[in-house]
This record gives sequence, structure tokens and C-alpha cells, in this order.
Amino acid sequence: MDTPLRIDPAEALAEINRFQRKLAAGLQNLPGLGEPEYANTPRELVYAEDKLKVWHFTGSRPTARTPVLIVYALVNTVWMTDLQADRSLVRNLLEQGEDVYLIDWGYPDGADRWLTLDDYLNGYLDRCVDAVRHRHGLDAINLLGICQGGAFSLCYTAMHPDKVKNLITMVTPVDFHTPDNMLSHWVQQLDVDRFVDVMGNVPAALMNWVYLTLKPLRLNQQKYVGLVEILDNPAELENFLRMERWIFDSPDQAGEAFRQFIKDFYQGNKLVRHSLEIGGRPVDLGLIQQPVLNIYAQQDHLVPPDASRALGKHIGTQDYTEIAFKGGHIGIYVSGRAQREVPPAIHRWLRARD
Amino acid sequence: MADQASEFIRQSQAMAEQSWSQWMRYLQQAAGQPASPFAGFGAPGMPGMTGMPGMAASSAPMSDMLERGLSGISSYLEWMQRAANAQASPPGMDWQASVKDFLGGAAQPFAQAFSGIDSTAAQGFVQQWQAWLAAASQAGTTDWRAPAYMPGFGLHREQQAQQQALVAAMMESAEQQRRYQALILKANAQGLERLQDKLADHVEPGRQLESLKALYDLWVDAAEEAYAEIALSDEFREVYGAMVNAQMRERQLVQQHLEDLCRQLGLPTRSEIDSLGRRLQEVRRELRAMEGGGGAAAGELAALRAELQALKRSQHGAAAPAPVAPAAADAAPAKPKRKAKATGTRPVAQATRKKSAGKKAGSAKSPAKASKTGKPAGKTATKPATGSSAPSKDSRKRTALRTRRAAAAVKSSGASRRSLVSPGIPAPHRARRK
Repeated sequence: MDTPLRIDPAEALAEINRFQRKLAAGLQNLPGLGEPEYANTPRELVYAEDKLKVWHFTGSRPTARTPVLIVYALVNTVWMTDLQADRSLVRNLLEQGEDVYLIDWGYPDGADRWLTLDDYLNGYLDRCVDAVRHRHGLDAINLLGICQGGAFSLCYTAMHPDKVKNLITMVTPVDFHTPDNMLSHWVQQLDVDRFVDVMGNVPAALMNWVYLTLKPLRLNQQKYVGLVEILDNPAELENFLRMERWIFDSPDQAGEAFRQFIKDFYQGNKLVRHSLEIGGRPVDLGLIQQPVLNIYAQQDHLVPPDASRALGKHIGTQDYTEIAFKGGHIGIYVSGRAQREVPPAIHRWLRARD
Repeated sequence: MADQASEFIRQSQAMAEQSWSQWMRYLQQAAGQPASPFAGFGAPGMPGMTGMPGMAASSAPMSDMLERGLSGISSYLEWMQRAANAQASPPGMDWQASVKDFLGGAAQPFAQAFSGIDSTAAQGFVQQWQAWLAAASQAGTTDWRAPAYMPGFGLHREQQAQQQALVAAMMESAEQQRRYQALILKANAQGLERLQDKLADHVEPGRQLESLKALYDLWVDAAEEAYAEIALSDEFREVYGAMVNAQMRERQLVQQHLEDLCRQLGLPTRSEIDSLGRRLQEVRRELRAMEGGGGAAAGELAALRAELQALKRSQHGAAAPAPVAPAAADAAPAKPKRKAKATGTRPVAQATRKKSAGKKAGSAKSPAKASKTGKPAGKTATKPATGSSAPSKDSRKRTALRTRRAAAAVKSSGASRRSLVSPGIPAPHRARRK
């Protein structure tokens, strides 16, 4: 009778032997590798306040008349958009002719524990937008919001419509109650008031642990088994370590902003229920009349596609475009396919509306 | 055959042990670690707990690497070793019986699919209570094992009540942790069932698994599928929430206890620092509001000021239209009429909808479109409807009244003041402020 396992004992021994050799090769390669650098595309500081910085990328002559400001999430760092020279959303947008600015939110500490979403959106973000607007003498600029930063960009556009010309959202959660949203599922019965009262700022390591437990075997074990396969390849190893740096070098979350985001977005799902208020201002997606490009990832385990696609049902504009990217939440920035497909698509869409 | 299998097992075990020992020696040497690389680690999820009794720092990169990354490799090596051992089953055995034996035997490699969740990776949630227990014990809570409630009396009544509440919270936390671990075990068991189902698809010649890695990958797929199904269940949601809430309750009580001790010693506490931080942030918001005149009330005030200027000009015979400050438009954006919505999104890679083929992006009401005309959108949206250069007496009265109300709102309401974050233009001196 046939069996599904046809593993020859001698071959199994050879397999273990090969694995061991790979492991041994890593002993030679690891010590020579320092902290892997990000792409560090040339940039200049154009605005700073508290811990945030607004960077303007230089070194190319933009053809676009309206600059685009990248609004990243508060979780993890913005350098996913400029990870390495051949995997850089920023660099590819520059090559397409876009004039790119980026907000680096920085690393909140105890002094930032009381920052609210109002402080972030109607305060920090608004002043960043103003800084870019006034550098260019424009009434309105383009926003590119990523993940939670996409939700922020939507809120900001609804509250400050005169300052946003075109809006792009990438892997952005809009409907937080889709049945496949594991993160949302887990926090529904969380007493977030007590959680923040006790924790203050939410430690980055705790956030990372939660993300790892979304796929515990893949992210805690299988990924590192894969690492052994590339230990003898310095270039691949450096890429791996760079990604590790990005994943785990992440900021704490300001307590009050976290409290509001969990209560209003994850638990209350107020963005699609048209009941969200930030700083006393109503946030109604139906008020957004600007052209909107919504890019989501089809294999996104953090922001399920349906959570992003919901934007089409709630946005006010009639100029709404969706792009489905074949990849995951991170792959949409760093995969080879992403480099070929995403920046050109963004540029084409913006150019038609510049 | 039996001798061959025994020799194979012996060799593979020796190789795996040698390889892992080599790694550990190297890494311990590089990091200056003690003999046991995983001893004395803190909770990776809770860096704030480092420095607590029994909690060593966990932020050193090499420590982190040892704990998280290489423990995964170690687990895989162990897994391969067990899998290879289990492969040495008697020839001719029915595959289902063989697999059953393989999966259920003492040496089976799948027993701890999610062991990482409740061992190292999840210490942030599920094991921190042990550290708090140690901290509380050292801080003076000595009778923590007593489960029964005992009424307190006299001078130490409050302390006793706090200690008993802490004990109750610890027990509740342990109970919720037990429930969580039970679900993890259930996910593991269901992962094994799924693996058997998946293996059944590989019986046919040509589809058989011929390497340990292929078997491992199939197992990971099966285990993750089972875990995801449980993690998305209503039961898991309830248990997860209860576990985190119980641990937060426990930590809250420990904090209170430590704060009491700090106060007795004249040391500042986290609560006091938080209060200062909160007040400081409120002052910053008020300052911003005063500097930039942002917020709804201030925006209205700016609009009314502009309107007053227009009135004054009209009284002096100048008939210029009233300019409106950007803040006014910012504070009260005109609500456009909702348009007909698409019934759903198109299930295609790219779907675009436009109002009409002949119309460009943005309607006549669109701020983007308005800005193309040369006028700021806000001006278009909030320009006074009358445009009159000679307002009536009633109009002037209403304007004055609204101005006074708006000014009062800015001055009086604490809640309003907190919302008055300036959207103003960044001044040059602000550009480099840290």
C-alpha cells in the first residue's frame, strides 16, 4: 500500500547534514555583518516638531506640479517605504517624477503619553501639510496614507478638505469588523481603558508579539528555518537582517491615541458608521470629494482586502479607483512585483489629476 | 533493518546536537552569555519589566536573537531529529497506522506546535504575572497564597484589603491563562488532524513527500490553518479579552501597591508624573489655540472678525467683499450633498468610477476643482451668501452677538480649549524645534 511519506532514512540523514552545513556557514558570515542600513535616499529636513520630522526627498527633478506627502502608521517605522535601494517606494516614485515628502512620527516616550488623535491629526499632521503647502505655495497637496496612516489620511481629508488635492490609500483599514480581521477580533472584548490606564504608552515589543501571534509558527519558527537556507549568501542575509531590523525596531504607541484608535476604529467601527469625531469635529467619509486611489493587498493578513475595499461604499467622491495588488501587507512595498507595478500605477493616476 | 535504523538515529542525533552546541558556544562567546543561553531571560513583550526581580534585560540584540530567532532553529533541529526517528517504523506497515503511530507516538515531533506561544513569545501576556508575583512578594505582600477572603481591621485594614485583592487578581489571571492555553492545545490537536487530512492527498505516487522539510512545511500549513480557525472563534475572542483584562487588573493592583510604598518613602510615582504630563499637554493645546486660532470656535471667531472688517469697510463706503480666513473654512467645511453610490466594488484588479465620462475629477463643489479656479476652496465654501456691502441693522446685531459668543467659548470651555489645536501656518521659528 502506498504511503504519503517516502522519506529514505539515508536521505533524511543527508538532509540533516545539509542543514547543519548551512548552519555552520552562518558562523562565518554573521560576524562581518553590521547593522544593515536602509536605502537612505537623499533627503532634507523641512519641518520638525517634538519628535516628528518631515523629510523632503532630493536628488531628482520632479515633473509633478503637486507634491505628495506620505503619511505612515504610528506602528513600525516609515522606513519600510525606503527599505533598500532596489526596494524603495520612495525612490521609485521619485524616478517616476513625483515630488515626495514623508512624515517620520518618531518614537513616543512618556512625555507623549497624552497625545490624542486630535493632536496627531488636527495638530501634527495639519502642520506638516501646511509646511509642505507653503513651501510650494499651494492650497492643496496630495496625500499618500499607509495602513493606519491611510485611515488618518481619510480622517484628515474629511476634516480639512481644502488642503488635500488627491488622496491615495495603501493597505488601509476602513471597515474594522470584517469577519477575517484577526486583530479586530482579539480586541473586541479588551478593556482598553484599563489597558491604557495601566500600561501608559503601549510598548513596541508587546505590539510586535501580538503581530507574531497572528501566524505563530510561520513567524516564530518557519521564518528562521528559512534563514538557515540563506546564511551562506551574504546579500540575502543582509536583506533578511534589514527586514528584521525594521520589524522589531518599532516605536511605542502613545497611550491616549491608542485608546481612541482601538475604541473608535477597532471596537466602534465608527469610520464606516459615520459616527466618528476627532477633536469635536465630525469625520464623515461621505464628505470626501477628492479623487481617491485605494490600493490593497490580496494576501494581507493584517488588513484584510474587504476591510480596505469597504472604502468604495462609504467615500463621497465619484472619482474612486481601486487597485488590487497580488501580495501581502509588506510585500506591497518590498517585493519585486511591487517595484514594477505600484509606483508606476500611483504616478499614472496622479499625473492624470495633476 | 533495525540496526540500520538505530545507527541512523544515533548519527542524526549526534549531528544535531553537535551542530546546536557549536552554535551556542559561538553565540555565548560573542555575547558574553552565561552557560545556559536561555536562562534568566525577561519578558520580551514587556520591556518595562526589565529590572524587576528575577527579570533580566532582554533588549540586547544577541539575547533577543538567541531567544527568538535561534530558538526557532533549535526547535526545527529537534523536530527533524524526532521526525527522522519516527520514520524508522517497521516496513510494510499500513500507512495510516504508521502515520497514526508517527503522530501519536512518544517521540512524535508535533506535540508542541504552538509551544512558543506560551513559553517565550507570549511571556508579554501570560507569564508576566509570575514576575509581578515575585515583585509583590518582595514588596511586602507575603501571604499571597491565602485564597480565602479575610476581613481586615484597624490600622492595616486597607493594606490587607489591597493584598487580598491582588491575590484574587493573580488567581483570576492564572485561571484565564489556563483557559487560553487550553485553546492553544486544542489548536495543536486540530492541527494534527488537518495534517492527516493533508497527508491523505499525498498518497499517490508522484505526490509523496520525500524530505523532512516537505513534511515540516505541510505540518506548518496544517497547524496555522487550525490555529487561525480557533483564533477567529467567538470562544477565543472571549478568552483572549478575559486573559488580557485579568492581567491588566493584576498589574494595576501591583502598581497601586508599589505607589503606596513609594509615597511612604517620599519617591515620585508614575501617577504623579502622568498628572504632570497630562496638564502639560493641556497647556500646550491651549497655547496652540491662542497662537494659531484653530478649532471650531476660534475659526468662527476669525470668520466673524473678517465679517466685521467688511462691515466697517462698508460703513466707510468701501464695498469690497469680505475675505474669509482659512481657519474659518477649516473649522466648518461645507457639507456637500451626498451623491449616488455604487452598489459595490468591482471584483477586478482595477476599478474606477467617475461621475460622468465627460466630467473631470471633482465636481463643481470639489475643493480640488475650486482651487483650480484660483480661489481657495475654503473661500468658495464659506463666502458669505449675501455678499452685501451694506448689511442691515439686524445683521450687525446678530454678528456682534455671535462674535461675543464665540469669544466666550474660546475663553471659558476647558473641553473646547482642548480641541483648539492650531491648523495655522508654521512660523519659521517653529521649523527646527525639537
